[in-house]
Amino acid sequence: MEGDTFIDKIRRSRSLKLFLLLGPGLIFLAIFFFAPFVISLMLSLGMLDKEVYTWYLTFEVTLRYYIRFFTNPGTVRAIILSFYYASVTTIGTLLLAYPMAYYMAFKMDKRMKTTAVFIIFLPFWINFILRVYAMRFILHEAGPLQQGLISIGLLSEPIPILGTDIAVIITMIYSYLIFMLLPIFGVVEKINKEYIEAAYTLGAPPLKTFLKITLPLSKPGIIAGSLLVFIPALGEFVIPILVGGGRAYTIGRLIYDNFIRISGILGWAMGSAAAMVYIGLILISTYIYFKFVGREITLI
Amino acid sequence: MSMVDRALKIIFWSIVTLTYLPIVVMILFSFNSSRSKLVFTGFTLENYISLINNANVWESFINSIWTAAVVVLVSLLLGILMAYAVVRYKPRGSTLLDSLIMVPIIIPEIVEAVTLVIFLIIVGFKLSPLTIIIGHVAFDAPLAYLVLKARFQGWNREYEEAAMTLGADEITTFFKITIPLMMPAILAAAFLTFIWSYDDFIKTFFTRPTGFDTLPVYIWNRVARGRLELDINALSTIIVAISFLFTYVRMKLVKE
Amino acid sequence: MASRRDFLKVAVAGAAGLALGGAAGYFARQGEVDRLQKEVERLMEQAGVEAPQLEENFNLFNWTWYANLALIEEWAKENNIKIQMDFYESNDELVAELELGARAYDVVVPSASYIPSLIEKGLLQRINLDKIPNHQYIPESFMGREWDPDNEYTLIYSYGTTAVAYNEDKMGGDTITSWGDLLDADNPDSILRRHAGKITMLTESIEVMDAAAIYLATQKGEDVMDWITTLDENKLEEMANVLIKQKPYLYGYASTEEYMEELPIGERFYISQSWNGDIAGIIWDSDEYEVKMTILNENIKYVVPEEGAIAWFDNFAIPANAENIENAHAFINWFLEPVISAIHTMTIKYPFPAGIKYVAQEIRNDPTIFVPEDLYDKLYWTSLTPEMEALWNDYWQRVQSA
Repeated sequence: MEGDTFIDKIRRSRSLKLFLLLGPGLIFLAIFFFAPFVISLMLSLGMLDKEVYTWYLTFEVTLRYYIRFFTNPGTVRAIILSFYYASVTTIGTLLLAYPMAYYMAFKMDKRMKTTAVFIIFLPFWINFILRVYAMRFILHEAGPLQQGLISIGLLSEPIPILGTDIAVIITMIYSYLIFMLLPIFGVVEKINKEYIEAAYTLGAPPLKTFLKITLPLSKPGIIAGSLLVFIPALGEFVIPILVGGGRAYTIGRLIYDNFIRISGILGWAMGSAAAMVYIGLILISTYIYFKFVGREITLI
Repeated sequence: MSMVDRALKIIFWSIVTLTYLPIVVMILFSFNSSRSKLVFTGFTLENYISLINNANVWESFINSIWTAAVVVLVSLLLGILMAYAVVRYKPRGSTLLDSLIMVPIIIPEIVEAVTLVIFLIIVGFKLSPLTIIIGHVAFDAPLAYLVLKARFQGWNREYEEAAMTLGADEITTFFKITIPLMMPAILAAAFLTFIWSYDDFIKTFFTRPTGFDTLPVYIWNRVARGRLELDINALSTIIVAISFLFTYVRMKLVKE
Repeated sequence: MASRRDFLKVAVAGAAGLALGGAAGYFARQGEVDRLQKEVERLMEQAGVEAPQLEENFNLFNWTWYANLALIEEWAKENNIKIQMDFYESNDELVAELELGARAYDVVVPSASYIPSLIEKGLLQRINLDKIPNHQYIPESFMGREWDPDNEYTLIYSYGTTAVAYNEDKMGGDTITSWGDLLDADNPDSILRRHAGKITMLTESIEVMDAAAIYLATQKGEDVMDWITTLDENKLEEMANVLIKQKPYLYGYASTEEYMEELPIGERFYISQSWNGDIAGIIWDSDEYEVKMTILNENIKYVVPEEGAIAWFDNFAIPANAENIENAHAFINWFLEPVISAIHTMTIKYPFPAGIKYVAQEIRNDPTIFVPEDLYDKLYWTSLTPEMEALWNDYWQRVQSA
């Protein structure tokens, strides 16, 4: 009986429903994400300190770590380079992933679709670092790709790719492709084919149908995919180190260096300050992105 | 088949082939008799033999799988509930909520990893496999939410409404209609969260207890021994073979 | 692989056999051979005896590829200790771990530069030298050093230098003698300019900046110590400028793992700022299960430039939050056993001072492994503080993003 009444209550009350649906996730994130986030914010403002392993509040607020971040001329260059890598990677993955998702969604039968997802997913069973190493081998001057091209006469001598921007971008596109592909596929796949057939029946040319119907309907997937690629790509630091010859200094490396290279509280404070600025930058750029591209993903 | 279709087919399969190139290289070198990653000196099965004898590698692989599986389940559960709530009930302030949920995805991993550990220390939480899972879910639940919400959007409510008109209540409708319709997106979200968790190194490295290695941490420790590719490549090859077999068998089964 | 069960015996016998067979030509006097033999017998007896009151677990946090790990595992097995070994690639990672204190390690191996600040912050605990009688085997020159004058917290583990390695075959007869060869971008005849695009520096900020500091100080005839410990922004600016000018002529900044793979091939680059131990690892064949005296890459040379170089001294230490303190002392004591130290050196080719007497002559005389004593007064050592790291990091970021 009591269970019944409780379920009845849920049925009636919208706010109770909302609480039950949103509650678990939000409470989890509040504890295990936002609490650490607040710690990071407090570190960046110099509000926390410790004695051996006992933490305490300093009861002061300072902006010196932020000022330090902005007065370093290296900072701006690192930010620009990161935006460059992340944008090119996002566009590159989009250009590759969209036709793939389209092909999967419209030209494959149901059984093949799932198989295709498995096939695309398969390389990701292999550890990321191993995949990047393999990529480094492939791009290597003495590697099979360049030597192969030379032996069939397409290349006269090996070109140094490793250690350049191109190597970084190729490896990033390769690593992030699936993060673009899956969300787009998830959305394109649900597009009602009847609309498209209706357009054809009404005599619309294929290109026009694509631009006027299919593409706009796939927008939420494109936006989700772009965010899933752009944001981690902006903070990427392993790939620039491994294939960028240690030259490509990105914001991700800058934050990592602050956190790890400078011992203890000072490093964590400086790293946190850099991270806060970085988060601000991302929020601003996603806002701009939403404004120009659309915000189906946030507005219902 | 039209020109466009053919072009699409070629694009699709050539990109898939390219993504397999590093895998092919890795498989090839799992049979290499020297330690070099660059020069193939001769064929051997030694790497496979030493792999079979190595209990640690299997243990870390199993650790990776089960922690990632738990992470996927919890993240999907939280993600589905949140995405459904936001799309279905459009609560006030959901735009703000969206931005808040996005922050875990935005924040650099190293920052999140270190501050999470500081938080765990301050509240007196002992490191365990559970702390690894917590750290991963804090990222993966928002990730699942983002993917699922994209699918929910422009959601055709007709089916749900039809079901409810026919007398099904909301909860039944959710499980019988909404979830099955969501399956492709749930699958996509499951894959993404799995990849992320299975492959994660930085956060795991900070939140793990001593003596509990996941595969990426184990591989890192193997790099430490300067013996990276001896059996790790062999392991990768076996993993690829198993998942390939799985895909193949599945394809055959569904056909019949 | 099959010999793992009796590994300790095999390894000890291997080292002894090598010495007894006179392969090294080192044990000239019969007395020394006898002593070694006795030492081996004593060890083999000890190996069977269970050590009293040791704890169940032992967590070691050490540098990557920096000990014979199979031998350590064997020690743990002999003593019924469940061992967990984790690794770090830089002092930064170790310090972060110690600062957080989330995981308790029993023995760590920090470099001397970080020790004064670790002690001051209370992150290390005192060691009990009575429980480590084998510290008597450490040569005088490594005891009571500046970073821990009374050895209250640390004992030497290993040491070496940061200098330059190159692949002789690719140099066209050129050799490297000074830091100017790598850093002088203004002179079109410098090695840097003539071998442009074939040179790498380390990825470690302090090491690269220190190279510029030593170069600039000697050029100006100033005290090197003043430069490598400087908080003076003008000096740092000059160092950064040298490195920014050098950058276009570099292949890039290469990690250990990368230059160890590339130097012997010499395709992408063939001159690298590097650590001597890594280079010894390329030159000599090393194997955890066998003493190998084979030279793999004779064409790789390692030189300490005439201006001098940074020396690093890694030390055993016990963190403040260690849980298995008896095991920590037992482990250090075991490692300092001369024959054990010698086996570590002979197998993985790093110098462990306590064992120097029992190391074969070829290895002991290789300047890439054991730093020659006549270089000692050209080697520099710095003590780092977080403030200095932060300031230097600012200038390093300028170089990196330039």
